[in-house]
Amino acid sequence: MATFDFSWNKANDQNVSPATISSGPKLNDEILITNIRWFIIFRWGVIAALIAFEILATLSSETLIKFGIIDLKDWPISIILALSIANFAYAHALKHRELSLFHNPTINLWVQIVVDLVCLSVVVHFVGSTATPAPFFYVLHIVLACIFFSTRESLLVTFLVCAMYTFVLLFENPIFIQLPQSGVIDAHPSIESRQSNRVLLWMFVLNTLFFIIWYVVSRLSMVVREHEMRLLDAYRQINQTQVEKDQYAVLMTHQLKSPLDAIRSKINLIKAGYCGESSQETKDVLMKIDKRAKNMAGLILDLLRLERLKQTCIDCADTATLKPVDICRTLQKSIDKLKPVTKAKNVDIHVSIENFAYHGIPDQLEILLENIISNAITYSFDGGSVEVTSCIDQANDTASLTITDHGIGIEGKDLPNIFNEYFYSPRAVTHNQASSGVGLSIVKKAAENNNLQIKVNSEPGQGTSFTVIFQHVQLLSDAIK
Amino acid sequence: MAQKIAHVDDDPDIRDAVSRILRMNGYDVDTYLTMEDFINSLQDAGNLPDLAILDVMVESMDAGLITYKQIHERYPTMQAIFLTSLGDMIRPYFEDGSYKWVCVVEKPVEPESLLSIIRERLEDTKATMNSSQKT
Repeated sequence: MATFDFSWNKANDQNVSPATISSGPKLNDEILITNIRWFIIFRWGVIAALIAFEILATLSSETLIKFGIIDLKDWPISIILALSIANFAYAHALKHRELSLFHNPTINLWVQIVVDLVCLSVVVHFVGSTATPAPFFYVLHIVLACIFFSTRESLLVTFLVCAMYTFVLLFENPIFIQLPQSGVIDAHPSIESRQSNRVLLWMFVLNTLFFIIWYVVSRLSMVVREHEMRLLDAYRQINQTQVEKDQYAVLMTHQLKSPLDAIRSKINLIKAGYCGESSQETKDVLMKIDKRAKNMAGLILDLLRLERLKQTCIDCADTATLKPVDICRTLQKSIDKLKPVTKAKNVDIHVSIENFAYHGIPDQLEILLENIISNAITYSFDGGSVEVTSCIDQANDTASLTITDHGIGIEGKDLPNIFNEYFYSPRAVTHNQASSGVGLSIVKKAAENNNLQIKVNSEPGQGTSFTVIFQHVQLLSDAIK
Repeated sequence: MAQKIAHVDDDPDIRDAVSRILRMNGYDVDTYLTMEDFINSLQDAGNLPDLAILDVMVESMDAGLITYKQIHERYPTMQAIFLTSLGDMIRPYFEDGSYKWVCVVEKPVEPESLLSIIRERLEDTKATMNSSQKT
């Protein structure tokens, strides 16, 4: 007996949703919140580095003085405390407070930037504003502001950075403020004068560097956002094209099927005696014509069905929405629809299942069950039976629905290909000339869209069983016995 | 008095098949080529049908659906059936829940099932009218 497992994961090749693409002059709230979380984690890293720094300072303060770090005092502990409290506050605000005009991701980010800049300025002051690379950490804030804010807001952050750094320099060098009062031209500049020139040089060079970095990064950011906007437009166009494509497919299906329906309507009139009596021979010929026309009409509708399933994009507008689906009810509906086929083949359907609900696309689950049961009936021998059973694993919240027939079965070599589009097994075609080769492709697409797994078990001449495996099911009280 | 049925379809063979079946079963049938013809005919109060059989794609993709919406608003008791080549495939074109008001029958025309649906629908109308008269 050959067995084959089929599972398809729609999530891997799902189209990009517009929600993940930024819009407007800055990033959307969803992306900002993701980045705020990342900032908070990053800040914990900084806090850890500061703790390590403090331990190093306690163990060997002289080494730090050698590197130009002037005086440690208690500032690392104060900064660690300030950043830790702020980090908890950001996380709390993000998690527990509802978004409002004064509490939203942009405000949260602004508070983070201002607090971080104040803390960095304290660090720069104590570590060394002109003797160490500490002031270069201001660049990080400018870059992040360019990425997450609009150009105007990032410029504001850059001004804030310049103001903070200038303030630190002026605070450390009060003599620099008094310079204009001295007003003496000295051919041999004093130590104070050389110091003030040095500070002036650092102030000028670093502030200029900050603006250059703002300009370059904000330009790059604008280019990236422009591309994102284009992507968003392209995405909207794709969605629009999908809708138009569906309409075109519907129109084509209608145009192809209409003449067949007219022909079959006339045949039905003759068969029912509305055009007078006709000979048995005529009736036989008409039945054959009707059968071929019916197969062709079925194929046309199946192609439209398959096309629609292929276009399904979960949670995108106009295509599909996931809902809790009552499996018993869906199964019963599918069986009711297949009554004419069941009657024609004289096949009994025995259903014995425990009911459960699955979060899926209702129409598609119905199509999936209908196609599997229809296949089971079609490939059963006349007068045979089809069993539908279920098995619920409450511990793992999974359920399986098995549809078993005792028909012609599938050969082992054909089994891996049965879900391929237009695959024909010669034995299947001999048994059922109406086979379109699309039915199980429809099942595959519906399973893929609904994250279902299908296990097929078959023995040629003995029958086939299709087991549909549902994850995360909810047990319902009713059952069909 | 024979019950009146209006049938709108742009396919002459379908119009012929449906009217032949209905007339031979005692119904009074008016056939229309376009939805506009049918809507215009409703201006004459004596011409109101008990049931309308509408094709969906006549002139445009959803002419049948638009017409149905109009007649459902103006004549809520008038029963309607959609007779379409697409069958259930037109469901996505219905607005939320509106498909519950109407019956969708897939072409081709099958005399026995068409007659049974029409009888069922017309009996529904009678039951509704009787209950409204009692109240």
